[in-house]
Amino acid sequence: MKDLDHKPRRSEGKNNRSLFRRTIFLMATLGVGMFLPLAAQLYRLQIVEHEQWQERAANQQTKSVSVPADRGTIYDREGRAMAMSATVYKLILSPMGVVRAIDKEKYKDENGKLDQAAYEKAVYDLRELIVDWVSGTLGYDKERLWKTIERTDSGYEVLYKELEEEDAEKVREFTSENRITGLLYLTPSSKRYYPFSSIASHVLGYMNQNETSGENKVGAMGVEARYEDALSGELGRVVTSKNGWGQEMISGYEMYFDAENGYDVDLTLDERIQAMLEQTLAEGIETYDVQAGAFGLAIDPQTGAVLAMASSPDFDPNNWSAILSDELNAEVERVAAEQGDEAANAAWKAAWNKQMRNRTLDETYEPGSVFKPITVAIGLEEGVISLDSTYYCGGSKTVGGKSISCHKKGGHGQQDVTKAVMNSCNVALMDIAEEIGQETSWKYWKDFGLFEKTGIDLAGEEKGIFWAEDYFKSIPAAQSQELATSSFGQRFKVTPLEMICAFAAVINGGHLLQPYVVQSVSDRDGNTVFYHETVEVRQVISESTADKVRSILEQVVASGSGHNASMIGYSIGGKTGTSELLDRKYEPGYDNDVMCSFMGFAPADDPQVLVLVVYDTPKRSPAGSSQTAGGTYISGGNIAAPMAGALIANILDYMGIEKQYSADELSMADAPMPYVVGRELTVAKGAIQNAGFECRTVGTGSIVTHQVPAAGVPIPGKSNVILYLGDEAPADQVETPDLSGLSPTAAKTRLEELGLFMRATGVVDSDATAVMAAQSVDPGVMVSPGTVVEVRFVSDIEYGDHAG
Amino acid sequence: MARKAKRDLTIEQKLARGPIDLPFLALVMLLVAIGLIMVLSASYASAMYNSSAGIDTEGDPLYFFKRQFGFAVLGVIAMYVITKIDYQHFRWMSVFVLGASIVLMLMVFIPYFGRSGGGALRWVKIGPLRFQPSEIAKVGVIMFFSAGLSKRTGQPSPPKKWSKRTFSGRMAARLDRVGLLELVPYGLVLGVVLGIIALQGHMSAMVLVVVAAASVLFAAGVSLGWFAIGGAIVGGALWFIITQTEYMTKRIEIWQDPLSDLQKGGYQPWQSRISIGSGGLLGVGLGNSRQKYSFLPEEHNDYIFSIVCEELGMVGACVIMALFAMLIIRGYWLALHARDRFGTLLVVGITSLTAFQTFFNIGVVTGFLPPTGISLPFFSYGGTALAIQLAEMGMILSVSRQIAAPKAE
Repeated sequence: MKDLDHKPRRSEGKNNRSLFRRTIFLMATLGVGMFLPLAAQLYRLQIVEHEQWQERAANQQTKSVSVPADRGTIYDREGRAMAMSATVYKLILSPMGVVRAIDKEKYKDENGKLDQAAYEKAVYDLRELIVDWVSGTLGYDKERLWKTIERTDSGYEVLYKELEEEDAEKVREFTSENRITGLLYLTPSSKRYYPFSSIASHVLGYMNQNETSGENKVGAMGVEARYEDALSGELGRVVTSKNGWGQEMISGYEMYFDAENGYDVDLTLDERIQAMLEQTLAEGIETYDVQAGAFGLAIDPQTGAVLAMASSPDFDPNNWSAILSDELNAEVERVAAEQGDEAANAAWKAAWNKQMRNRTLDETYEPGSVFKPITVAIGLEEGVISLDSTYYCGGSKTVGGKSISCHKKGGHGQQDVTKAVMNSCNVALMDIAEEIGQETSWKYWKDFGLFEKTGIDLAGEEKGIFWAEDYFKSIPAAQSQELATSSFGQRFKVTPLEMICAFAAVINGGHLLQPYVVQSVSDRDGNTVFYHETVEVRQVISESTADKVRSILEQVVASGSGHNASMIGYSIGGKTGTSELLDRKYEPGYDNDVMCSFMGFAPADDPQVLVLVVYDTPKRSPAGSSQTAGGTYISGGNIAAPMAGALIANILDYMGIEKQYSADELSMADAPMPYVVGRELTVAKGAIQNAGFECRTVGTGSIVTHQVPAAGVPIPGKSNVILYLGDEAPADQVETPDLSGLSPTAAKTRLEELGLFMRATGVVDSDATAVMAAQSVDPGVMVSPGTVVEVRFVSDIEYGDHAG
Repeated sequence: MARKAKRDLTIEQKLARGPIDLPFLALVMLLVAIGLIMVLSASYASAMYNSSAGIDTEGDPLYFFKRQFGFAVLGVIAMYVITKIDYQHFRWMSVFVLGASIVLMLMVFIPYFGRSGGGALRWVKIGPLRFQPSEIAKVGVIMFFSAGLSKRTGQPSPPKKWSKRTFSGRMAARLDRVGLLELVPYGLVLGVVLGIIALQGHMSAMVLVVVAAASVLFAAGVSLGWFAIGGAIVGGALWFIITQTEYMTKRIEIWQDPLSDLQKGGYQPWQSRISIGSGGLLGVGLGNSRQKYSFLPEEHNDYIFSIVCEELGMVGACVIMALFAMLIIRGYWLALHARDRFGTLLVVGITSLTAFQTFFNIGVVTGFLPPTGISLPFFSYGGTALAIQLAEMGMILSVSRQIAAPKAE
């Protein structure tokens, strides 16, 4: 075509050839070539990417309405329902539907002209009917409802999220009577109930929406969260086709996927033991003016099953968004009054965060002297010490150029290992740690699982914080202040859960066990789909070492610094701890803050339960002193041990473990009062002595006319019963005396003077040091003569066990 | 007018009574029939739900179909009438068609007649008729160009009129020699038409007028150099518009990634791709489209081919594209065999217009080309456009009458 382009004169032939060629060219490009990329594009969309487009199409063309699955129930080990679901209803109003329900055509005259006033009146009447009923019957705010119902561009306004069946029935009646079922209607949903409210709240968790769950609530903490998949089941769905306006299409297809109900979960937790633990924490906080909360654990040391796990302050999962504790609420209000709303919001948030924390596993602490048995166990296991090894405590030990003192400034003198633990002597323990050496210590700490999370089936677990390994090992044992302080559990941190698991290994024959809270998961037909077998992580020490440490710990309670934990009828072993909180040194209000703890187990020869109770910062009163306002010496032995001892006794009692009495204790055991009324005095006295009681007489005569207590009433042995002679008769009621500050003997005498009897618990073996700690009947209460008053005694010896 | 006996006819008249090209007619009728069925299927939902903006269907699901059917009948009648006209008359008619279209296009700007749609003032309403005058302008331009360029026989130029003494004369002579001068009248006509359409803000019509005119000029043998220059200018302008104006840059961006603006501009292309892609190989079946239930806007207008792809699948879409391809090829075949240059150019122009329109529409719908509002011939809903297209087909068939029968071998 070059010729065409440059020559102005063209021959007709050439011109026609050009026309022909160019038309052919157009035919080829426009008739064929052009369609090729289009066909390629169709191939790409319809064949290659077909599935993804089809999925997108299905997503927008179908409406999937979820059918809630029944969430599983959480039971405690005795089958008490701790968390359960019930059907509730959402009440939905369609303001748009209300307007549409009034047919405009009816208000038009024959010319098609709308009678605006009549039409508006009809709309108003219908609105009024609904508003009046809903606000009148269900108590919805009337003004707010008027605003809602006037939002005519909305077809979906949720009035109630969780309406109970009772109210739902009323709604059904109302709507069907007035034929407005499409305007005001119910959709079922589910609500979680926690019948024991705040009990075990941190373990159970609560339900909330999250970023991915949409309208459905999912477990937000604890077992609810960790076992979400098992509990929730599978949501059912009804899939229908819809058009671009979101309306369901009548002719469209429908598909149903049945909901699959969630599994039930059985906990290892026992609600009663949990309640006892929480009660113990609460009582201790109250009695000893504890400032920063408390936490505690009870586990089965043979399996790792958690029997109770509590952290105070706690929350109510039924109403988790509120602050439960009165103290925290008061604190928020105080801040609000003093510093305004912004500070109050921050304070509220801080308080809320505080109550949501499960400090038994999401926080680390310095275990203090509770750690000593582990140091001793390592020494015994490695053979560097024996039970016969003796140590001299002169009140302090110089390590690496620094003098580290014992809590007893005068020193404990010469002591064997058992005595050293009973005294909770820091110097002896530092000596033992030095003999063990830093390398071996590190190895055992690792073996005791202190560097790792325990692997409990709960979320949010932390792990221990130690020195860097290289650094710790680089310092020779004799110079290592780190090693020295670690021997009595200071300057490193572990979680309470790690601590109790390591301690369990020390007393259960050396088996480090993985703790767990869920025993089994089962479907609705009762088929077990998961059962937790005991998981032994490793054997850390030998059975024989464990036996030795156990007997040392029994001595600690029998006559050492843990004596306040002793309970008649139970052989309890354990160790006290008073941890320094040096990391809070610069916080406002710091006053040599300590955590008072006690780790105890029973029965000592075959531990069934292992308990750890920790009180964070009992308040010193006056400030800087070593006492609480109530005059109790601040230490694990004086604060935590008595609380934990009572708790252990209660748990054993509840578990049905038989009491075992020594010969001495046996004579104090309860026995029924014989029937002696009408007998000769001498005969009566003989019968009473035979029953193990003593007696005194009131009045004169030779025939017993009345007796206190009545026949058959169990009273403690050696009680001084009263026999009435002649015309004398017991008083109808007597006033319970105040036994404060009395020794066991004095208290017994005081009560028996009034015709009351004393069942003594706690420390009763020494009149010199034991003082009344608690009486089961408050002073001033009128009771019948013969009533048994339970009196708890503790030792008033100051059991030091803190770091020097 | 009484029909003359055959013997009284001139040769010209005899030729004009030759047989029309049946394959081409068959393809046209087939496409119109399939197009009607697809309008029925695609518009059914929006007509029933009365969801088309500005049109009250009163819930009659057949509303659009009935209208389209009526115009199809009108169009076929128009086509038939036009085949009866000796196409040589189109030479003089071209001036009037072009003139009328320009007048009609200007009427758009008179508020009484003008109607806007698709963001542009492009409709005119006269009595019951509502149509885009630019549709007529396309044919007008093709007819006018074909008539003019058919005289370009390559005969020796008339004696030089240019004075060699003056500079302007020498310049004119040079321009004449390179062939620019003969393009001036066409350039002027095209400029006027494009100017008016540009005032209407009707980009896609401009594109079609340009490509239709260009294809006639191309076939007529205008030097390729001019196409290169023209192409460079248009290309440069496009490049400038796309990269330098925010509006177009955004549109191109949305075309590449509809998800970037799914709420607005990206919605329609995205929905179109969902329709096409979900159709798969065999489609969801005629009438079973889900996308037409208000997911895909313009489902019976510019985007009707998406519904075709969804309902009939890749197989059905390819069959319809093949029918278009055959129609186009047969059109060019008729052009090649036309009796004279005018016939050839006229058929080339109309066929090219149809081809480009098909290409642009399917290209846009499938996401191969950036979105422009070009309808699919014979398919998209729009009665007058369909009638005008059928009238154009009538012109081609009129030309086909005068093709000499192949000699018997």
